[in-house]
Amino acid sequence: MLTNRSLNTIIFWLSQKRWFIFALIIGAVFYLLPTPEGLTTEGHHILVIVVIAIFLIIFEPIPLPAIAFIVLILEVLFSIASPNDAAKSFFSDAVFFIMGSLMLAVAIVSQGLDKRLALGIVRITGNKTWKLVLGFLGISAILSSFIGEHTVTAMMMPVSLTLLHYTKADPKQLKRLTPLLLFSIAYGSAMGSIGTPSGGGRNVIMLDYWREFGIANITYLKWMSYAYPMLLVEIPLAALILWFTFKPEHTTMDTAVRKLKVDVAKAGKMTSKEISAIGIFIIVFLGWVFLSPKIGLGIVALIGVVLYLLFGLINWESLNRNTNWGVILLFGAAISMGIQMKDTGAALWVAENAIVFLEKITPNIELLRWFVSVFLTGILTNLLSNAATVAVIGPIVLNMGGDQIIIGFSTAIASAFAYLTVVASPTCMIIHSSGLVKSKDYLRAGWKMFLMSVIVLFIFSQIW
Amino acid sequence: MKILIAISSKEYSEPTLHVGMWAAKAFNASVTIAYVGQKISAFSTSDVGLAQESNAKWGIERPGVKVLEWAFNYLAKNEYITLDEAKAGFNRNTLVDHGKNRVEVHLKGNYCEGVDLILRRGDIIPELRHEVAHNGYDITVIGRSQKRRMAHDLVQYIDSSIYVVRDLLPFKDFRILQAVDDSKGTAKALLYGMQVAQAFNMPVDVLTVSKRDNFGKGYKRAHNKALKTFEKAGIEANSILKVGDPVETIINTATKYHLIVMGNSQLNPVVQFFKGSKPLKVMKNCNSPILIVK
Repeated sequence: MLTNRSLNTIIFWLSQKRWFIFALIIGAVFYLLPTPEGLTTEGHHILVIVVIAIFLIIFEPIPLPAIAFIVLILEVLFSIASPNDAAKSFFSDAVFFIMGSLMLAVAIVSQGLDKRLALGIVRITGNKTWKLVLGFLGISAILSSFIGEHTVTAMMMPVSLTLLHYTKADPKQLKRLTPLLLFSIAYGSAMGSIGTPSGGGRNVIMLDYWREFGIANITYLKWMSYAYPMLLVEIPLAALILWFTFKPEHTTMDTAVRKLKVDVAKAGKMTSKEISAIGIFIIVFLGWVFLSPKIGLGIVALIGVVLYLLFGLINWESLNRNTNWGVILLFGAAISMGIQMKDTGAALWVAENAIVFLEKITPNIELLRWFVSVFLTGILTNLLSNAATVAVIGPIVLNMGGDQIIIGFSTAIASAFAYLTVVASPTCMIIHSSGLVKSKDYLRAGWKMFLMSVIVLFIFSQIW
Repeated sequence: MKILIAISSKEYSEPTLHVGMWAAKAFNASVTIAYVGQKISAFSTSDVGLAQESNAKWGIERPGVKVLEWAFNYLAKNEYITLDEAKAGFNRNTLVDHGKNRVEVHLKGNYCEGVDLILRRGDIIPELRHEVAHNGYDITVIGRSQKRRMAHDLVQYIDSSIYVVRDLLPFKDFRILQAVDDSKGTAKALLYGMQVAQAFNMPVDVLTVSKRDNFGKGYKRAHNKALKTFEKAGIEANSILKVGDPVETIINTATKYHLIVMGNSQLNPVVQFFKGSKPLKVMKNCNSPILIVK
């Protein structure tokens, strides 16, 4: 007979795992439904896995690696893939890239280059608040287009927080200036991640899908030629949106900037360690531009990690401690799901049915494709992780017909529109972890950013 | 005795810390003051950690450290910690990260056995439950929350007695409202009520509510036993017998100068989960501080 304490423990476990149980029930219901016409049994089953995975990723009732393992286990148990095929689809260059870029982030952030960055920014911007906002936003965007959004946010946040502390001992009292500067960094970094393939794992996932599905082999520079002009257009527009959403209490930050300059000047001249760190990153960047078509972006990122380790700029313990292995495993599983969706025909089936359904709303197929790829991705990226969104949505939108390059770009770029919620992206979570921005601030500025980004993307997709 | 005091901020937690430390002093208890920071999505834990390491190099502390610093200053000002500890000041570098989502600093207490300041991160109820389960606290002291399910989850899941603090009012003006019936929970609640009354020299109103006009034998016996227990301990005890709905009557009888003490429900946890219990309903709807004894 169970004691009251044991019963309570069970109730507590059930309350904590309610979304896991819900996901399993929904999955079981979908599994038991007859396979729809035109869909293979394997395709039906992979869609069941996708539904379960989406619930688990959104609500996180179990650790990320457990979600990844569930996906792989079900792929094999449902006879969608043999154990070896599941393993092969799990690891790809995109996963190597995600692993490498997370480790590069740790290596770069630990070099203390943020002080140099701070000095560079305030030298360019001066002490006018609007120039600082534009500077934070622009530099975050440009840097994150190469080294990833989370790296840049982690480096830029102490700079902005120091400025805020110098403006007021308790930055919480700066009800508009604080979110203005912090969102400049978070949104700037998120926007910038579209600029190059190395800006985010999701870009590499899309490159992988194009290659895997025999659509195209897009180079680093080719990607930039599509995405960078859009990024440059977005920077001033985003600065305006943020400025008018959070009209700051101070239009100049004279004292704060002066104190920051004094602080940063204490760092002295660049050390050989810092020069080496920048040198290695330049090598990695050149590798991405010139070598990635042959050896892949992921391998180049891993070369960078090895170089940082080799020159003693970071130790393995630190890399191991700060690398989110759960994210790597989960993205591997998400990519595996995407590939199985393609191989089983599930992606094509969903794409065709989505088009048939949406045709009832408007006969303009081009607009429909674009609408699905951008809006669905944009909404999901604010609930799921952005890389997971592209991994799942990618195979579907690439099967919707039309120009698969444009639709692929639109999807990858829309996955950066993670402005609406705290959990939308690591950059949003990082600034929220400061305790200085509220959840409602994300919606307040985010919907304008979202709308602006969609409009700019629409215009560029017409030009491409 | 071990007391856990959950605080959230300087603005909202002063009464909680005040009352918690009064109780700790009265019972010579060891105290843990806990701040539970916001939950970080599993996708961002490493990135947030990296950003916080980066901030720390600039001397910018993670949220929660300032709250602990405020708690430290409160303890020093009110002489709850030794003079040496107070003179040394709050040193962020003494915060020890044990992994397992627990950062702590131990302080030597003057009246209490010792005071730990700890930082945890996550959802408040699972974190407090984990803390109580692993460190065996007798009472968890917490402020009133506006969150919809908070009262329910505290009563249902936290495995210690729960003391919900309302306002900062001096204990010398308080009376205890001891809710008594014939349930098993009443006996332990009586013991706690007596200890509190003795420690703070509070008079007690012993309240028994019957749904029917005739008080049953069990109710009468429990009521008289409670009165005798208090009288034997030299505590002024006043008898109140009322007829009506127990929850409504307790709420209507309690004033803001009453500390309600009642035992936890002995109902099956499954029934409690779906239907709630008397202590839960009183906790949710009453503006007086309340101690639910488990």
